[in-house]
Amino acid sequence: MVVENTIDTFDAPPEERISRERFETDQMWIYMGPQHPFSHGLWTLKIKVDGEIVTDAEPVIGYLHRGWEKEAENRTYPKIIPMADRLCYSASMTYTHLYCMTVEKALGIEAPDKAKYIRVVADEICRIQSHLMWLAAMGTDLGNLTIFLWAMREREYWLDLNVRLCGQRMTTNYPRIGGVRNDTTELFDRDVLRVTELFEKRLWDIIDMIDDSSIYVSRMKNIGCLTREQCANLGLTGPAMRGCGLDFDLRRDMPYSKYAEMDFEVPVLQDGDAYARYRVRIEEMFQSCLIIKQAMRKIKALGKNAPYRVKVPSKVPAGRTFCKLEDPRGESMMYLVSDGTDKPYRLKVRAPLFTNLSASKPMVKGCRVADVPVVMAMIDVCMGESDR
Amino acid sequence: MAMKYLDKYPRSTAKTLWVLKPLWSTIKLFSKTVVRRPVTIQYPYEKEWLPDNYRGRPGLRFDMCVGCGVCARACPTGCIKMIEVPDDDGKMVMRPEIFLGRCAFCGYCAEFCPTNAMTVTPEYELAEFYKKNLFWGPRRLNFEDTTPEMEVHYEVTLQSDIDAGNPERRVHVFDVDNPVVKEDACIGCRKCEKVCPVGAVTMIEKGLNERGKPKLVPVFDHDKCICCEQCVIDCPKSCIHIEEAL
Repeated sequence: MVVENTIDTFDAPPEERISRERFETDQMWIYMGPQHPFSHGLWTLKIKVDGEIVTDAEPVIGYLHRGWEKEAENRTYPKIIPMADRLCYSASMTYTHLYCMTVEKALGIEAPDKAKYIRVVADEICRIQSHLMWLAAMGTDLGNLTIFLWAMREREYWLDLNVRLCGQRMTTNYPRIGGVRNDTTELFDRDVLRVTELFEKRLWDIIDMIDDSSIYVSRMKNIGCLTREQCANLGLTGPAMRGCGLDFDLRRDMPYSKYAEMDFEVPVLQDGDAYARYRVRIEEMFQSCLIIKQAMRKIKALGKNAPYRVKVPSKVPAGRTFCKLEDPRGESMMYLVSDGTDKPYRLKVRAPLFTNLSASKPMVKGCRVADVPVVMAMIDVCMGESDR
Repeated sequence: MAMKYLDKYPRSTAKTLWVLKPLWSTIKLFSKTVVRRPVTIQYPYEKEWLPDNYRGRPGLRFDMCVGCGVCARACPTGCIKMIEVPDDDGKMVMRPEIFLGRCAFCGYCAEFCPTNAMTVTPEYELAEFYKKNLFWGPRRLNFEDTTPEMEVHYEVTLQSDIDAGNPERRVHVFDVDNPVVKEDACIGCRKCEKVCPVGAVTMIEKGLNERGKPKLVPVFDHDKCICCEQCVIDCPKSCIHIEEAL
């Protein structure tokens, strides 16, 4: 719902109201960022304010540009996997997965079944910990420090699972071209189901904290609204899109890896405000827990001796490959132009956040200045992937 | 399968009791944490338990290393340099030196090491006051309590094996790849014999060259060869290549 930017709402006597209508005020540009408590990462949101109401906005990015795509052209294919980790610190597993899928597609090989199931588990762990990271950041934006501490506490369990799986908390470097780095360890097999069950209980505490509190719900409701048409035209993807009523999820509609065998629901809400995006993400965490349980059952059925990594040639035949995957933040895509050598000719990354940020103008238009952090928190800003 | 959270929320205002419900849940957690052990770890005094496969700094077992330089070539940041150091007998050998200021802790050196001399170690407190102290020589890289779990095995299955219905894992993957020499381009310079870290190359006389003199060509001992590609890189005529088994 857009708050009308007029001065008719003033409760003033008629003669004074007329004089105020003639009274033209200057609007002012405010730079929120690049160092600002609301901007998670280095970016600027220029907002034009009329008093307290935001009338225009413009995102400015480029403070974290590292030349990722150019750098990838000078490295052999396996060496790009650790680099793909660093595209986004909280969604490292999905980006390495995407890169490996792209090269596998270019090579025309298939990863073994076990590797695909392990990748599904790893992706969902990554999705949950990324959403928890978002929940923590969102909590501070709403002024709720308890949520920050609680969400970070739950996130540690998932990061510990990453350590048990591949030895590293965040920059996992786990998927490989043609499979995964190592088989699941015994510790991981034991702990993943325990953590999943514990987490499903603990998440209700956080939900009680936010959803039952009318203070926080009223801060999220009816701000940052987008219609379905706006959402489609702006190219939003991910939970931000599903909160606007567009029912699309790559995991269900164009299944990659082994998602076709998984039984899960895609949450879609028609409201289109910040609260809907929050609710979609919370439900996604529950659905991810379901997927982890199913995939772990399948891994157990395959047995310990099943192959998890096939040998791949070091040179990729010339051609163009395009691959996409459902990131925690939306659809991330990679476009690989290979020229028959062991280095890519061009590797283009389409980051979901780059596109989602362009929706910041229609989202914050009409909001109050105090609502801007809440609205922008709901698209889960991560600058590492959008600037590259 | 139904939605877990969306079916229950949002609740009606009467059920949520304004802000009393979240207040109650914080009080509940407070009373729980009073009697329970704290989640926080008092870091410098107590440390979190880490599994053996934790990827801290790389470790090197000096005696197992053959100095082939695979780690230096696999390193994505280029922080590994092969340097010449004396071994226990005083003989000069090639061993890796790691500049930890640039290390990305990806574990590639341990993964691609053909002899598993490189390992990952659970050591992560590596800060130094001077940059020169970040250069870790081969002796300093030694980690005393190296366990078998710290080795990273490069286990792969060949696609041809899977197609043949025998999906066994090749633990030592380098056995399946072989260097192959183009004999007509070879000039018999013995460079490959000199650089081979495991002595898998022997030069034999085979045929005559265009001047009618006997010609030397390398022969590779596939049991000894670890497929480190050192001969491929150092060949002046680029006549050796690795034949990949797939």
